[in-house]
Amino acid sequence: MSIKVIKPGIASTLQDAGRAGFRNIGIGSGGAMDLFAMMAANYLCSNDAYTVVMEINFPAPELLFQQNAYISITGGNFEPMINETIVPTWTSLFVKKDSLLKFKQPISGVKMYLAIQGGWKAEKWLNSSSTHLKLQAGGYSGRTLQKEDVIEFAITNSTPIKNEIIPHQFVRNQLEKIYQPANVIRCIKGVEWELLEETSKQVFVQNDFYVSHQSDRMGYRLKGSPILLQHPTNLISSAVDTGTIQLLPEGNMIILMADHQTTGGYPRIASVIKADLPKLAQVKPGQPFNFALVSLKDAETAMIEMQQVLTKIKTACQPT
Amino acid sequence: MFENFPFIGLIETVPAYNSLAIFFDALIVKNNQSVDITAFEAVKLFAEKRINEIETTLLLPGKTVHIPVYYNGEDLQEVASQHQLSEQEVISIHTSQTYRVFMIGFLPGFAYMGSLDERIATPRLPSPRANVKAGSVGIAGFQTGIYSIPSPGGWQIIGQTPIKIFDKTKTNPCLLKAGDVVEFKSITKSEFDKTNEY
Repeated sequence: MSIKVIKPGIASTLQDAGRAGFRNIGIGSGGAMDLFAMMAANYLCSNDAYTVVMEINFPAPELLFQQNAYISITGGNFEPMINETIVPTWTSLFVKKDSLLKFKQPISGVKMYLAIQGGWKAEKWLNSSSTHLKLQAGGYSGRTLQKEDVIEFAITNSTPIKNEIIPHQFVRNQLEKIYQPANVIRCIKGVEWELLEETSKQVFVQNDFYVSHQSDRMGYRLKGSPILLQHPTNLISSAVDTGTIQLLPEGNMIILMADHQTTGGYPRIASVIKADLPKLAQVKPGQPFNFALVSLKDAETAMIEMQQVLTKIKTACQPT
Repeated sequence: MFENFPFIGLIETVPAYNSLAIFFDALIVKNNQSVDITAFEAVKLFAEKRINEIETTLLLPGKTVHIPVYYNGEDLQEVASQHQLSEQEVISIHTSQTYRVFMIGFLPGFAYMGSLDERIATPRLPSPRANVKAGSVGIAGFQTGIYSIPSPGGWQIIGQTPIKIFDKTKTNPCLLKAGDVVEFKSITKSEFDKTNEY
């Protein structure tokens, strides 16, 4: 029960929801960049939310199914094709043995998630199967997928899925709440927000910013108008998190992503709210967006709403 | 702080020099509140209550660790010239005192140590380097530290240690922990080559 990697794509990795409890020795959470898409992909395959999935970028891999399988593909849309026929995303699919899965072109987003019923067989390291690329631990040999890799399924027999092959209109209808409007990223003020110049505070909320190509799973570097501090400052390092927006000395910002460092010394001017991390993960380099400041209460409300959407999807995918 | 008194929804904590970050599952914290306050406010109350309960702070000395360094870093000259010192003077100052490990962070096993003699305290690089080698010994403000794995980084690199600070295959992958005392020792290139674990 396995697939074979015909073409590896760029930085395809196995990921789950990440590891908790090791930040005090400098090991961050890691895990899928778009946790919403990861969890939805799992629900669509009748998996537990945190089952290991494959995170795919474009150029995407070509994968040969060596057995029949139930799968789902979520996140952005690179037009997945099974045996040259485009198949829908955000739905459950049945794939026959000897089928070839490939991706035609990037239509939207930058990350896709391939879930398989029962999950992928992956190495666990510090309680998680997420690939820690820097330490080469967890996932598939702690690395990105390579040509000829054979990735085993964690289970040997699949059970039919309720919504097999039917496009999940219900799931699609929920997506707008998570990914729209695509050009507004909500955040809360950071610990060092007040160190900003008054005009820079305005620039932060009014001007367009975009993600540069110098971005990866550690962080998205932003381009746009420079943001300035009132005075140059040397801070004592302290904890940072996914979504933390740090201000670099030359006036550019970096948003820390899943494989971020656990502490840092650059001013933390703001934090992207948890509910907008899936949307942020899918922002294409060069695509302009705005920051909107919200209250902590609104941030928590948005997080609860995202959880409600996930619960709805889970319920819709459960066998009746 | 919460080891023996966890609250429902606590994930983990990250101690730093002068702060403690508390990671929590906001949904779980919120579901366990009878009053309508944010999860953040609820956790803040837990933390303040715990701080009041902790009467004294015990600074137990940790183990002393000797770390050999071949002082050949790419920023050694820059650090020296910023302070009108010779490279040899920077090395003598860096090796003339012990340092306390204040926290582990930024990278797996990266120990933040201090406090540095002000004669060699140097700000970070204006823009981080794309790649700093594992074992690089650096300076950032009044802090000194060792890159445990290769990483982008903004510290001024003054030397290299041949010993592994972090080893993922070990049960306890970190050589150092908060509270340890570190002493740097200057070694030659041939000593470095003989003992290089990387």
